[in-house]
Amino acid sequence: MQRRTFIVFFLIVMAVVLPLVVKEFWVHIFSEILIHALFALSFNLIFGYMGQLSFGHAAYYGIGAYTTGLLMVKANLPLFVCLPISMITAGIAATILGYFCVRLRGIYFAILTMAFGQLVYYIIFQWYSFTGGDNGLQGINPPEILMKAQNYYYFVLVVFIIAGYILYRIGESPFGYTLRAIRDNAERTEFIGINVQRYMHMNFIIAGMFAGLAGALWGPFIRSVAPDLCNWHHSGIPVFMTILGGPFYFFGPLVGSIIYTFLMAIVTGYTEYWPLVSGTIIILVVLSLPSGFLGVADNVIKKLFVRGN
Amino acid sequence: MDLTFIFAQFLSGLTYGMVLFLVSAGLSLIFGVMNILNFAHATLWLMGAYFCYTFWNYLHQTLSIALWISIPLAGLVMALIGAFIEIVLIRRIYKRELYEQLLITYALTLILGDLIKIFWGVTDKLIERPEIIQKPVFIFGAPLDSYFIFVNLAGIFVAVALWCFLKFTRYGHIVKAAVYSREMVSALGIPIPKIYTMVFTLGIFIAGFAGGIQAPIGSVTLGMDMSIIIQAFCVVVIGGFGSLIGTFVGSLIVGEVYSFSILYWPDGAMVLIFVITAFILIVRPWGLFGTPTRM
Repeated sequence: MQRRTFIVFFLIVMAVVLPLVVKEFWVHIFSEILIHALFALSFNLIFGYMGQLSFGHAAYYGIGAYTTGLLMVKANLPLFVCLPISMITAGIAATILGYFCVRLRGIYFAILTMAFGQLVYYIIFQWYSFTGGDNGLQGINPPEILMKAQNYYYFVLVVFIIAGYILYRIGESPFGYTLRAIRDNAERTEFIGINVQRYMHMNFIIAGMFAGLAGALWGPFIRSVAPDLCNWHHSGIPVFMTILGGPFYFFGPLVGSIIYTFLMAIVTGYTEYWPLVSGTIIILVVLSLPSGFLGVADNVIKKLFVRGN
Repeated sequence: MDLTFIFAQFLSGLTYGMVLFLVSAGLSLIFGVMNILNFAHATLWLMGAYFCYTFWNYLHQTLSIALWISIPLAGLVMALIGAFIEIVLIRRIYKRELYEQLLITYALTLILGDLIKIFWGVTDKLIERPEIIQKPVFIFGAPLDSYFIFVNLAGIFVAVALWCFLKFTRYGHIVKAAVYSREMVSALGIPIPKIYTMVFTLGIFIAGFAGGIQAPIGSVTLGMDMSIIIQAFCVVVIGGFGSLIGTFVGSLIVGEVYSFSILYWPDGAMVLIFVITAFILIVRPWGLFGTPTRM
């Protein structure tokens, strides 16, 4: 317990201090890591805790991004108001679409989430007058005080810590343990009187809301949004990050996001063939580190500890 | 709106359905037998189209039938690549979790997509059609691209050939049995890995062949695979995984729905297809012609 508190404390100190000493480019990368990590953490509620694979999670991320983008560009609302509204719109979409998704399991769950994700993508893509179609929305400028990369980073960090803490509490609550029970054996969970579908639906909505929050942070970060944010290819990113970091650890998605985003920043500096590199990494990770980076680290630490005794 | 017009629209939907069938047939077969959902299927299909272009490019100055040779050649090359992928990669993930299998084939789309970019560049590739398929033909007064007749024939040929393979050959029977129960098939002493390699190779052969057929329809461009893979998923979901007749019917449904809805609500054509797919998944996840045993 104490070790974990120490690690969290250490991480937060690093997150606060590091951006003061590195170049602006890396501050951007840090913001990107946190936004992706929040996206992947919300995905992991469905994947790691509930045991279902969503391949359409980018839809809620995209809805959040577009809500904030549209409200800021067309209604000139301040960013701080847009964030909760984005969570609500993404939550509403997750309520409607999730109602159907939680009736299915396994591969069918994956395909239905993907089909709904593409549905959202095509609606945004085709609705030129409202969403700007494939041009996306430009000129999503954060408020004056957050225009500087460092300031926006600290803003993202604060949102991330709050959201991460809430997600952690959800995972450790009776609700979170019910989800684990559903993951391990849905039938037995049903037998002890738990309405499995309702729990899955609630979890789906929460995951959608936090994905929406992550999306809402993304638009002002790069000053624009594009329909590709909702595409199924984008849904693969949190899946990869989570598995890279370790799906059965709360910090797995964060670690995955750190590795993924750093690698991407470095590799894209040398070559335009980032998909080739990331695809190769995915295959190597799945084949050789099935429990993710944290799983391996955990094993190593345990081994050292046993040997030490 | 007269009958001729509706008939013309029907024909274009039919052709689109056949294109979809050619892409989805292998996808459905591979999922039905191996239980692996191949995200990379359409990327392999696109690679087949590029190979067809390359062969045509080498041959067309010396041979008048260059295109007709290039299409099956593309299928054969892709079959080799498919066998290679199965032996090197897919074989390692038979017993893995669903998400690991999906991630591996997702990674394959990324890798193959970039390989296509490296080998063929980013410019569109256009095959000049031979004279016989340059002019449209008229069927009951409705104009039809004469190449589309070939596309339809090829689709029907693949459907019939696959059906005969499943119905009359020993291997076909094994494949059909494996769709129902792999454990039983292997208990009967049939080497499952060999069957898997064969099925995957056959599936990718059809994908490559379909890519070759796609190539002369328009130009071959990067990213074509991304939109068609989702439609192929829709086809397979509607028809039922692992069912040949289901895939055929599903393709025609999607093709015709697309072709007719584009008349009345052009922006909503894809949306409508997703709604149908979602509806089928919710009320009958195993599809119109599938078997519910896999739920």
